[in-house]
Amino acid sequence: MFHQTPLKTFTVAAVIAALALYAILGGYFPREIVIEIALLAILAVSLDFVAGYGGMVSLCHGAIYGIGAYAFAGMTAIGGYDTVTATLVALAAAAAFGLFVGAVAANITGIFFIMATLAFGQMAYVVVFESRALGGDDGLSGIARYDLSAIGIDMNDSLQFALFCLAVVVIAYAAAAYVLRSTFGRTLSGIHSNEDRMRALGLTAWRHKAVAFSFSSMLAGAAGILAAQHTQFVSPELLVWTVSGEVLIVVILGGLGTLAGPIAGAALLVLLKHKIGAYTEHWHLVIGLFLVAAVMAGGRGVYGQIEYWLRQRAGRRADA
Amino acid sequence: MLDVRDICKNFGGLRVSRDISMHLERGERRVVLGPNGAGKTTLFNLLAGTLKPTSGEILLDGARITNLNVEQRARLGLSRSYQKNNLFEGLTVRENLALAAATGEGKTSSFFSRAHESRSVRETVEEVAEMVGLADRLDTGVAHASYGNRRQLEVGLALATKPKLLLMDEPTSGVGPGMIDAFHRLIASLPREITIVIVEHDLDLGFDVADRISVLNYGEVVFEGTPDETKGSDVVREIYLGDWQGDA
Ligand SMILES: Nc1ncnc2c1ncn2[C@@H]1O[C@H](COP(=O)(O)OP(=O)(O)OP(=O)(O)O)[C@@H](O)[C@H]1O
Ligand SMILES: [Mg+2]
Repeated sequence: MFHQTPLKTFTVAAVIAALALYAILGGYFPREIVIEIALLAILAVSLDFVAGYGGMVSLCHGAIYGIGAYAFAGMTAIGGYDTVTATLVALAAAAAFGLFVGAVAANITGIFFIMATLAFGQMAYVVVFESRALGGDDGLSGIARYDLSAIGIDMNDSLQFALFCLAVVVIAYAAAAYVLRSTFGRTLSGIHSNEDRMRALGLTAWRHKAVAFSFSSMLAGAAGILAAQHTQFVSPELLVWTVSGEVLIVVILGGLGTLAGPIAGAALLVLLKHKIGAYTEHWHLVIGLFLVAAVMAGGRGVYGQIEYWLRQRAGRRADA
Repeated sequence: MLDVRDICKNFGGLRVSRDISMHLERGERRVVLGPNGAGKTTLFNLLAGTLKPTSGEILLDGARITNLNVEQRARLGLSRSYQKNNLFEGLTVRENLALAAATGEGKTSSFFSRAHESRSVRETVEEVAEMVGLADRLDTGVAHASYGNRRQLEVGLALATKPKLLLMDEPTSGVGPGMIDAFHRLIASLPREITIVIVEHDLDLGFDVADRISVLNYGEVVFEGTPDETKGSDVVREIYLGDWQGDA
């Protein structure tokens, strides 16, 4: 069950502050890294919401991210709609796809749930890839960014865009944390703990899971909207299942079911990738070893392990 | 209030429930006796909707519920406790009861409220905790709770939805005499309008709380009657090999 502990608040604040500083002090390339981290962090928070608190491990969050990006791109670049309308449509599209996947997969358990989400993600990929209207494998370009000049923000400035993305990470985290503490979120924790008992108490569990998946998808869609604005270009690559795999790695690396951990995990993964990538092409191997180590060490992830230690210590002090 | 009409349940060729019929009045306390493997838990699974009968009908307050699923029946006021503890592991006793109480109130879906911390849920949680003897254990993690406490919580979860029909599958299995007595008093203290079906191995407890007793053997109801009639019954005596002859 989710509690917004001081450690979570501190971790999110510290990671976001460090990244903001990195973007402010660094040049163009650090800002690109910060944006990459921010997008991955939003995706990781959205995946942890369903996987860590609802027991629904998804391998289609990359596809949902792509759906958000494509919906925004299509609305602005093809449809000529304003960015606000495009945003609402993109969030709705991602949420609707998530509701559909969630409703169909809700009664499937374990590895088969993962496979079902993977299949739906691949379907979305194929549809986008084959769609002439959406540019097929050439993708779509000419996507508008938000015009926030009214409040003094220049989204075409790489620093301001990076900071905006970090702000969206905070919003996504806050939204997920808020919902997890709500009636809906507590019920979701109940399903995660014991779905059969929740049904025996009178809950239509599959519907609840579908709605949870839909909410999570909406957050993933938000990351997609930012991704589309970032490069102002979208291609089917966004929907490839390896994107989902990377998000899952981030969640496990940071700490499944901790919500704050995945944000730290996103920063860790992207920084490792770039730092190690500068020396060797085999950065995947290093990340892989890191992941194996994290799983072997109790599977709590980097943040999860720290949270665990602190709780153990607090427990010992309370006992003494 | 509950009408079971000729229900059968087969698992492949195995006939686990055979033409079971029973009629319960509102507020009745019915005890189901029967040796291991007689089909008592299967009967509960059929009543609660976990299993669908191969044939037969189940009516609750005159309405057919045979085709309703588990959660639909629960929302009609049917609640059950399990023979094997079926709790929310990883949560505290309070969080367990709050989940049951809020779900019982139908409060599950709001993104903008916190029903599990609401007054009515807190009151139900405290009331139920008091009833099952967990008032001073509310903040214990279920995983760290003793077997007895877990057993009490199992019954507490079933009570916290404020059911009309309560099914309890061997609520006192594995607990000591002290807790069996406390359980006795709990049953006696429950509002009289709740209809209760209890599967019980403890014959003394069974005779004590029951208005009527049904005896299952090999999936069949081989006897039904008042506790006194049950004590005098030859069929029952045969099944139980004179377990309570001393009392009779
Ligand atoms: N899902 C199932 N598939 C096949 N056989 C089953 C299934 N569930 C129960 N049975 C069989 O049905 C019979 C009755 O089981 P049930 O659990 O209902 O008995 P019970 O009266 O509750 O016994 P106990 O006193 O041991 O709890 C047993 O022989 C059991 O092996
Ligand atoms: Mg049984």
